[in-house]
Amino acid sequence: MKASRARLFKEYKEVQREKAADPDIQLVCDDSNIFKWTALIKGPSETPYEGGVFQLAFAVPEQYPLQPPQVRFLTKIFHPNVHFKTGEICLDILKNAWSPAWTLQSVCRAIIALMAHPEPDSPLNCDSGNLLRSGDIRGYQSMARMYTRLAAMPKKG
Amino acid sequence: MDSDSINNISSSASNCKDLSRKKRRSAKLKQCKLDARREQWLSQSAVKNKGCCKEGTNGGDSKQTRPGERDRSLENLEMRRIDEANGGGENGSVQHESDSESSPSNSPTSIGLLGGTGSGISFTNSSSSSCSSSSTSSGGCCSGSITEEEGDNGCLDDWEAVADALAADDDKQETERNENNRENPCVGSTPGHEPSPQLGSNGAGSDLRNAKPECPRMVQRATGNSRAWKADDAFRPQTLPNLSKQRSFPATDRHFGQGGVSWARSSAFPVPSSCPICYEDLDFTDSSFLPCLCGFRLCLFCHKRILEEDGRCPGCRKPYEHDPLETEATVQGGSLTFRLARSCSMIARS
Repeated sequence: MKASRARLFKEYKEVQREKAADPDIQLVCDDSNIFKWTALIKGPSETPYEGGVFQLAFAVPEQYPLQPPQVRFLTKIFHPNVHFKTGEICLDILKNAWSPAWTLQSVCRAIIALMAHPEPDSPLNCDSGNLLRSGDIRGYQSMARMYTRLAAMPKKG
Repeated sequence: MDSDSINNISSSASNCKDLSRKKRRSAKLKQCKLDARREQWLSQSAVKNKGCCKEGTNGGDSKQTRPGERDRSLENLEMRRIDEANGGGENGSVQHESDSESSPSNSPTSIGLLGGTGSGISFTNSSSSSCSSSSTSSGGCCSGSITEEEGDNGCLDDWEAVADALAADDDKQETERNENNRENPCVGSTPGHEPSPQLGSNGAGSDLRNAKPECPRMVQRATGNSRAWKADDAFRPQTLPNLSKQRSFPATDRHFGQGGVSWARSSAFPVPSSCPICYEDLDFTDSSFLPCLCGFRLCLFCHKRILEEDGRCPGCRKPYEHDPLETEATVQGGSLTFRLARSCSMIARS
C-alpha cells in the first residue's frame, strides 16, 4: 500500500515533469485519490481512430506495481480487443504479461499501439473481430471511423 | 546488540593483544569507546588544523590524528598479510576475518555518499594514498579498513567544519602544487586521470600531493604500454575508479571497494540511480545486485516482493533462476547482515 502510493506519487511527478515528452498522452491523477487516474490519448494516425481523443480510466490496485492497473475505455470505441459496452481492454501486458517495470505512461503507449495493431484472434468485440478475420478491412475501418466520429471527436455545432 | 555487551567484548578482547586477529577485533571494538574522545578531538582539531595542515603529505594524516589507532590499523594490516602468507589451516579463517572486516567498510562509505558529504570521501582517499606509499602491495585493503574507521564517526558535521577550515589552506597548496607541476611535468598527467570530480578541492589537493612520489613510475608505465593502469597494478593511484568491481562483486570488492564506490557514483555507468520498480534510490548493495542475466537491476526490497509473487524478472519476464540467484543472494545477504550489525553498533553507541 505504502510502496504503491510512493511509486504512484513518483510517477505523478514524472508525468508533470515530462508533460511535453509525449503529446499523444495526457495523464491526470484524480484530485482526491492517487489510485484513480484518467488518461486522454489521441488516436494514432493512419488508423480509423485518427483525430479522435479517447478517455481511459485507470484503477490502480494496492499491489501496484506488482499487479497491473485496471484500464478501460470510457470513450466508445469499435476495436476487436475492446469490449464495446464496458470498455474493457484485452491486452496481454494488462494481464499475464504485466511487468512491474511498466508505468501508467507506458501502458498508455501500449494501448495506442494496440489501437494501431488490433489482434482479431482474441476479440472482445466479436463484430469487429469477425470483420477483420473475414478480411473485410474496409468494413472494419468504416465502422471504427464512424464510432470515432460519433464518440471521440468534439461535436460540431 | 547492546552497548554493554560491546564494552564487555572490547574490554575482554583488548586483554589479549598477542594474537593479531584479536588485536584487530579489539581495535575495531575500541572505536566504540573512542567515539566520545574522537568528537572531543574533532572539535579541537577544527581549530588546530588551521595551523598545522600545511605539512604536505602529512596533511591527510594530521586531519585524523588518533595516531595510536591509525598505527594499529596499519600494523594489523601487516599482521594480516603475514597471517595470510603463513597460510595453512589458518588461512581460511583469516580470510574470513578480512572478509568480515572489509565488507562493512563498504557500507559506511555508501552511507557517507548518501549523506552527500564530500569531505568524508576526500579524507578517505587521501589517507589511502598516503597509506599506499607505506605499504604498496595491498593499498586497497588498507583503504578499506581505514575507511571503516573514518566513515564510522557519527559526526559528519564536524568533518565538514574541518573541510571548510582546510579549504583555504588547500588553495595555497594548490598553488604550490602547480609550481611543482612545472618542475615535474609528469604530475600534470594525474589530473587527466582524476576520476571523481565530486571530490572537493580538498580531496583533489591531497590526492595529488600524496600521489606525487609515485608519479614518475606511473608515467613510465603509462608511456611504456600507452594505456591506463590495470586494476591490480601496484602503482595505480587509489583514487582511480575500478571497472572490474562492477562486474564481479565478490572477488574484487574486498580490495577495491573504495574505488568502486566513488566510481559508481561519479560516472554514468549504466547502473540506474533509482529502482525502476519503486523509484527509490539504489544504495550500494542494490546497485551491485544483478539478479537476472538480462541485466535488469532493481532494489533488494522489490526483488523480494517479486519473488513472493510471481517471481519473474520485470525486465525479461523470465522466471528468476534460483541457482545463480542463491549464490548472489548469499553474498548479498552477507554484506547485508554486516551492514545491519554495523548500524546496530552505531545505535548502541549513540
